[in-house]
This record gives sequence, C-alpha cells and structure tokens, in this order.
Amino acid sequence: MDATYPGAVPPERHRALSSLGLRLHVAEWGDPAAPPVVLLHGFYDHVHAFDLLAPLLAERFRVVAFDARGHGESEWPDAYAWQTDVLDAAHVLRDLGRPAHVVGHSRGGGLASDTAAFQPDLVRHLVVLDGFGPPPLSHANFLQQRRLGKGTAEQLTDWLDWRRSAARRRNFQPAPTLEELARRRQVQNPRLSLEWLRYFAAHGSRPVKGGFAWSFDPLASRPIGPFRPEWIAPGWRRLRAPMLAVIGSEPDTWGPLPEEILAERLSHVPVLTRATVAGAGHFMHIEKPHETARLILDFLEGA
Amino acid sequence: MIKLASGRHEVALHLLRDDAGPTLLCLHALRGRASDFAELAPAWPGRVLALDFAGHGSSDHPRGGSYTPELLASDADVALAHASGEVRVVGVGVGAYVALLLAGARPAAVRAAYLLPGAGLEGGGATRSQLDAEAWRREADALVDAAAHREDAGCDPMVRLLDGDARPPDYARSFADAATKLLLGEDGSLRPIWWEAAREAASALRAPADPRAGLTLLRAGVD
Repeated sequence: MDATYPGAVPPERHRALSSLGLRLHVAEWGDPAAPPVVLLHGFYDHVHAFDLLAPLLAERFRVVAFDARGHGESEWPDAYAWQTDVLDAAHVLRDLGRPAHVVGHSRGGGLASDTAAFQPDLVRHLVVLDGFGPPPLSHANFLQQRRLGKGTAEQLTDWLDWRRSAARRRNFQPAPTLEELARRRQVQNPRLSLEWLRYFAAHGSRPVKGGFAWSFDPLASRPIGPFRPEWIAPGWRRLRAPMLAVIGSEPDTWGPLPEEILAERLSHVPVLTRATVAGAGHFMHIEKPHETARLILDFLEGA
Repeated sequence: MIKLASGRHEVALHLLRDDAGPTLLCLHALRGRASDFAELAPAWPGRVLALDFAGHGSSDHPRGGSYTPELLASDADVALAHASGEVRVVGVGVGAYVALLLAGARPAAVRAAYLLPGAGLEGGGATRSQLDAEAWRREADALVDAAAHREDAGCDPMVRLLDGDARPPDYARSFADAATKLLLGEDGSLRPIWWEAAREAASALRAPADPRAGLTLLRAGVD
C-alpha cells in the first residue's frame, strides 16, 4: 500500500456502515464538521478512484466516499439488484444526519440520480460525471453487442448456466502480477495512464491464488433482467436537486453518449447545468482533477 | 426436505409426494412457502417437489436483500436440475412469473407450466417511471422501512422488492414464445400486464383457475 501518485491523497478516515446486513466501507477526507459531499464511484472501481478529486473538494467539504457492495473493501452480497445499491446509497446519506451534495461517476452517476429521485430530501445538489446510462441498444457498445444476437429467453438460459457453474467461484482470471493487472485495465480504459493504474491497482486489489485480482465480486459483473436504457431518463423528472451534468470532450470506451441521445435524456432533468472538461475522456476526475474540481466547486458555490 | 446450493445461498426443496409418474415442481407466491401446496399434492399422479424460494420458508435469506424474479428463477433452476428429466411446473403469483421464465429459458426440461394468479409483481407495471409521484413515495418509504427490519412473518422483508419490480410485456412475451406449453389459470379477474402478454403466445392455453382441474389438464391435456 505504499504506492503513490502525484496529487493522490488516500482517505484520511475509514469506517464501516452496515446496510441491509452488509458491511460497507466508508472513507472520508476533510473537516468532519464541514457540509458533506458524498462521492459514488463507477462500476469495477472503488473509493480510491477519488484520491485525486476528493482532496480538492475537501478544502471546503467533508468528503465521504463508500465502496459499493461487491466493490473495494465492502462486503460481497449473495445477489445483486440495482434497487439495493440505491438503498445502500440512501442509507449512507441518511446516516450523515443532514442533506448532502452528491457526486457520482459513471454507474455511480446513475446511482446518484436514482437515489436523489428516490429520496429527494437527502440530496442538495447533484453532480453526474458521465453517468447517464448505457446507450440505447441500437447504439450498443462492444460489451452489449454480444447480447444483441440472442433472444431474451436465451440470455436467461446463459445466465442460469453461469449461475449453476460459476456463481460459487471467487476469482476470475487472476493476473500474475500487479503490473499485469494494471496493464489489463489499460486495455479497457486506454486513456488512463499506466502510472495511475499501478496506483489504482495497488489500492484496489487483493492477492489470490495465482496472483492478484481486483477487489471486485465477479458475481456483480453479470446483471440480468428486463432493464432498458430508455427507462432511465423519464425517472429524472422526479429530481428536486439541481444537476450539473459533466462529460469529457474526448471519445472514450464508455462515453460520452451521442449528443442527440444525451440531450434527449437530460431534457427530463428539471434544473440542469451542463459542462464539458476539455482534454479528458470518461474519467475526467482522474485525467483532469483540478478542472473537474473547479466545475464542481463553482456549481456548489451557490448552493 | 433437502437443501440445494443456489449460487452463494441455499434453498429448501420439499418432497410432498413420491409416486411413480411425472414430476411436478411447485413454485409458491410472494410471502408463501412450499407447504402451501400440501393439500394439492395428493391430486398429482407422480412425484411432487415444492421449493421454498430464497427469503421464504426454510430457505436462506440471501445476504444483501437483492431479490429479483431472475434470482428466484435461478433457485427454481437448481431444483429443476435436481429433479432431472422432464418436469411440469405449477406457479402462483410471483411463482407463476418464475415458472414463465423457467419455461422459456429451459424449454427442453419444462414440459409445461401452469400459471395461477397470486401475490407478487402486482405493483410494478411495465416500467418504474409509470408510477405516479405519490405511489413512488409510498414505495420508497416502504422499502426503506423494510430495509431496517430483518424479519417479516418468516420472510425476509426485502422480498417486498418482488412486488414493485417493473415487468414489461415484451420481456414476458419472449419467454412465453420460447416455452413449450403454458397453461394460464383464468378466473376472469384482471391480470398483470405481463400475464396479458403471455396469453398472446402460441404456446399459451387458457386453463381453469381451480388448481385441481388445472392439474388434470397439465397431466393429460398437454400431450
């Protein structure tokens, strides 16, 4: 855990919070008496994804991040459902005892929006960093393409086969070294530097038989069910918190969505501000932490 | 009763009747249990297996409360694997929906599924965003309340998620189309949107809502 990266500050405090019987790992930066900002990381990530952004926000706020169930140092449940991730986020917010600003990246942005729509009294202002849902199936990315050739019932057949065989496995394809773990991640997220990914891997992996694995539950990797991307935006009409919607200017593995789709989705948000971080892709808080923090701090200034 | 591993949790499978003849797998309604089928079992000429879904009866409460019909389908799938060979399935309420999923995903193993009205999946509609603001608030408050408790009349309170889960009609329809044979127990009452969609499939037959009459049809009438 002695890995370092320029500007990265690991959390100053750690605590555990029980939600739905699971132990969640909560990490904090900044003055505990300051107004709170809660950070929600993306799929396959963990709290250290905010080690660059959080210290910049901590100059004015109590910054609280937590590892989503199945991620980082939080416990692994027996099964997954989007709604229980929302309940976890609502529980972390309620536990603070006062309404908080919420910042979510990628999947964490979707969770932030749904949590704010689900429990509007808990959320003051909402910042979403390129987390506006997957593209419609007609614009599916390479991970979704695999599913398109199959009917809905066949997808469940595959999932049931996988549950029969794989759901009890704890690790999938461990990397022999941390370096290899970082390199594999760079294939998925080519805009992230190997230097950052080494830091990220050192803080978010665990030794397993055969090498190292991300601190991530393989069971979380195969959601199943009737969810459709077109369900996302209509729910945003329930938001009471003003939203700052941030994308990076550069095309990246996970985004941004084609502008006409993004604009249509965001048209459902009652109070919206949009911003773009120049020279960054999907991980703008890692590629351009100062610019991203400035946008967030300016947005929260008037709150 | 035996315990079967379903992923990381275990489910209880009960042998209600052990007789020569075809196998019937019984799937109970929301907040029900295997023994709900005890009175019906003698009416079936063969082996009768009844499952306690996760969070119900003698089955484990999966850690973390993430109940979905697909998770219950994976519970039923391990029971199907255990039963081996051709199986007929009867399901009530959420168990009927799970029977539909299983019949569509395992058409070679599920000879026919008999769906009966009952508790579960009645509050979700086709999409979450169809709920009006008041219904949404009630749902949210009830879930938060459920999350704070660990027991509810022998069930995991989080099974409440199975009541409001959104179930679009075309999703149900794809399973109905893949199924070998569906018997829909009709009593003239209004049925959920997904049920209406299943009724349109070529595999679907209207059947009596009286379970004994329906089981007779399930045994004899589908061949």
